[in-house]
Amino acid sequence: MTEKIIVANKGMVRAEFNFWVGRYVDKFYDGLEQKKIIGNKCPKCGDVFVPPRKICGKCNQTISLDENWVDLPDTGTLVNFTITPYKVNDKRGRKAKDQIVSMVNIDGSNTSIIYNLLNIEPGEVKTGMKVRIEWAEKPKGNPSDIKGFIKI
Amino acid sequence: MEKVGIVGYNQVKLYSDANYGRYEMIFEAVRGAMDKAGLKKKDITTVISCTNDYYDGRTISNCYTVDVGGGYMADESKVEMDGAHAVLYGLMRILSGNHKLAVVWGGSMASCFPYHSTRLYETDPTWERPVALVNDITACGFQMRAYMEKYGVSAEDIAKIAVKNRKNAAKNPLALAEAQNANVTVKDVLDSDIYADPVTELMVAQPCDGVAALLLAPERQALKITDKPVWITGVGYNQDTYYLGDRDLSKSNSMELAVKTAYNTAGIKDPKNEIDVAEIFEQTACEELILTEALGLADNGKGANLNSEIGGELPINPSGGGISGNPPCATGLIRIIEAVKQLRGEADGYQIKNARKAIASGQIGMCAQNNIVYTLEGGN
Amino acid sequence: MGRQVAIVSAGFSEHASKRSDVSMPELVSEAVEDCLKNVPSVGFDDIDAFVNGNMPAFEGSNIPELWMTDWMGARNKPLLRVTTGGTTGGTVAIAGYYNVTAGLPGIDTVLAIAFEQQSQGDTAVGLASVALGEISILNTLGLPYDQISRLLSGGAAIGVASYQATNYMRKSKITEEDLARVVVQNRRNAAKTWWAHLKMPDLTIEQVLDTPYISYPLRYGMVCPASDGACAMLFTTEEKAKDMCDIPVYVNGVASVSNTPAILGYDGSGAGQLDPSEQLGAKKSSDIAFGQAGISFPRKEIDYAEVYSPFPNQELMWVEQLGLFEETTAPEMYETGVTALNGELPVCCSGGVNSTNAIGASALERPAEAALQIMGKASNQVPKTVHTSIGHGWGGSLNLVTLMVMSDEPQRKWR
Repeated sequence: MTEKIIVANKGMVRAEFNFWVGRYVDKFYDGLEQKKIIGNKCPKCGDVFVPPRKICGKCNQTISLDENWVDLPDTGTLVNFTITPYKVNDKRGRKAKDQIVSMVNIDGSNTSIIYNLLNIEPGEVKTGMKVRIEWAEKPKGNPSDIKGFIKI
Repeated sequence: MEKVGIVGYNQVKLYSDANYGRYEMIFEAVRGAMDKAGLKKKDITTVISCTNDYYDGRTISNCYTVDVGGGYMADESKVEMDGAHAVLYGLMRILSGNHKLAVVWGGSMASCFPYHSTRLYETDPTWERPVALVNDITACGFQMRAYMEKYGVSAEDIAKIAVKNRKNAAKNPLALAEAQNANVTVKDVLDSDIYADPVTELMVAQPCDGVAALLLAPERQALKITDKPVWITGVGYNQDTYYLGDRDLSKSNSMELAVKTAYNTAGIKDPKNEIDVAEIFEQTACEELILTEALGLADNGKGANLNSEIGGELPINPSGGGISGNPPCATGLIRIIEAVKQLRGEADGYQIKNARKAIASGQIGMCAQNNIVYTLEGGN
Repeated sequence: MGRQVAIVSAGFSEHASKRSDVSMPELVSEAVEDCLKNVPSVGFDDIDAFVNGNMPAFEGSNIPELWMTDWMGARNKPLLRVTTGGTTGGTVAIAGYYNVTAGLPGIDTVLAIAFEQQSQGDTAVGLASVALGEISILNTLGLPYDQISRLLSGGAAIGVASYQATNYMRKSKITEEDLARVVVQNRRNAAKTWWAHLKMPDLTIEQVLDTPYISYPLRYGMVCPASDGACAMLFTTEEKAKDMCDIPVYVNGVASVSNTPAILGYDGSGAGQLDPSEQLGAKKSSDIAFGQAGISFPRKEIDYAEVYSPFPNQELMWVEQLGLFEETTAPEMYETGVTALNGELPVCCSGGVNSTNAIGASALERPAEAALQIMGKASNQVPKTVHTSIGHGWGGSLNLVTLMVMSDEPQRKWR
């Protein structure tokens, strides 16, 4: 009787990607480099988006690149959070230190952004609490300029 | 809508690491469905497959499956969503009148790739992806917290759904062995490994290996192929916006809109009383409650009060649902197959008595961004 | 069963080798805007469902429709994603047709969108990974990956195409000049198409032949570019089409018959397709689609054709295998001007895939341009009246084909 042999083959194919962000998010990234949050506003329904978007999904309205920009504060309200020991991009599913992933509604905007909550014990976290952005020391104009949120 | 019948189906046993290859698995599923229905390769005119390039780790993941899926010299296409969406495309091909038998198959091998970190690739590469905090598990964490805080539902009540589904899976011979826990308790579920608080390991539909297939035919042919065709009486599908911050995660807007179309087409006015069994694709136990409410089977926030056990007032996921095993791209298709089994009286070990009308659903995206739902009747 | 389907509009975004000014969703929204611009009576509320597709390996994004829902106007609307590699656009068009003809309640008007932003990723790796599983099996058996990958990804899919070309050349005795002539015709046509990528109004055969070989018989000057771009088409029912545009274009025949893969079989087994220039799938697709459309003599009854040919030898091969010309006569048709703008059967007056290749979108641009020619609204409009046209696509491991036959008169189906 022949034995079944299973052969596994391991290899790595390298594929690099560079993403174009478009002019709306480009302006937002410029704002991040200045430690500023810039959003834009739908001229029809008045919803404010951060990061800024070309199209308002509710109204199917194009928001012009030249106007409708809104300067927003770097404070917000915690709307939701979860605590996980697994790093999302760890392919082997190894456990790491607990991180508190939070959804924060920046004051003046109509949507939430997702970053970690820093310098806080999981038991102290309550939805509805006020938070502020903790900026990176030397912002480079990309999403990592926001290190996370801290309670105020 | 003209009558289109599901005339055959087949599903392979789900494994967390199957020791055979994807082509053999696809052949087993599709050929098994054809053999059980007494049909031959020459009867196939169209094949719709459902696979995902990222899950298979290769581009155009369907071009080498043409032979094993029955698509050689057949009018063949591929949907890259859930298997339940592939059934929709198969349904459209039959309704067009151009085809008399459609084979729909879907599945993948989750043992060959890291499923949860691959879900990161669905996110916005200019914003969420570099920060790498959002995947299906953290999104489910947000969803469960939003639901619990809005309606005051406890983690215990949600864990009961996981217990129900795992016990049901123990009666389902094709379910994933790791999901077949006949003696699991609420405490076991709550004490299991925390994936993203408050979601724990036993609440999550575990990705695994599997392929499923089903056959569709128009009314006249369906009545000739089988004496127990199951009719698709309605279908609805809908996609929410991508932004989790724009959505109310404690409910499923896209499912509510999708099921409205399905019920209207099927003429169902009182789903709580008219539906006999529901097979819903839920990624976590909490999502089953949210989808149950969106389907109109329970009031908002009251999903946990519904007795959805096998002997209960409205059985939900008697096969164990997504928790019984989640082979990416096949799970929604398997839900449809399980609903078909219930209507045909072929669900040995977990049969709902006198099942006449059923619901089956599938989904893709974070927190069920895109939902599809079918209403099914017949089978006797 | 099965309603008549009409195309009322087609739109494009600008195509370029690097659309660095837009993100993927913004690129798609450009095509959507262009498509809806041509039908002022149709707003986003009138669109009942969406069909979308691209080749996800090129952008590094899985199921990108989830992200770009709002940019297509698809928030809280039904959406279906289909993708089949190089034929993705054709599959999207066919799925758009099936969405409407099925007559599901509430789904009458469907927007079909296909796109690609290849500058974001690595085209060569994206294409080579079609057979990654099979290549790695051969690697395990001792065959060095390098040699096989040279065949499959030599200059990005050119290896496969040149294999197909040599098979074709054995049958048809074509010369390199014949190949260069096809390229010159396409690139000069592209110069008059507003959205095309490689616009070369003064290209000559000598210039094409003066470039080095990549893989015999294909030279650098002959191969298609890698473009970024998007395309959108609007499908609706016969009744609604009458109010939306002057000349609705009726979809009378569709087919997408697949063959077994060429070059490598699955799991490292032998290839089932020995001669990839034979294309049984295309022959069967054209039988089915022409049959549905009531066409018995394609050479006489088809007024315009858009075939999918990133490489010039494929254009010559396809026009024969789809039944438009007798086998081995295609080079002569190009030489005598039968396929030119003012010829009897113009082919690829938009410049074809040889001038613009955003892989996910290009198989949708073929039926889109073919439909616009019937409407009289193409940017490089042929002078004669076009009544019937075809849009075609191929892909996969030389085994997938899509075909759509369109006309200004609906074909009454007999069931």
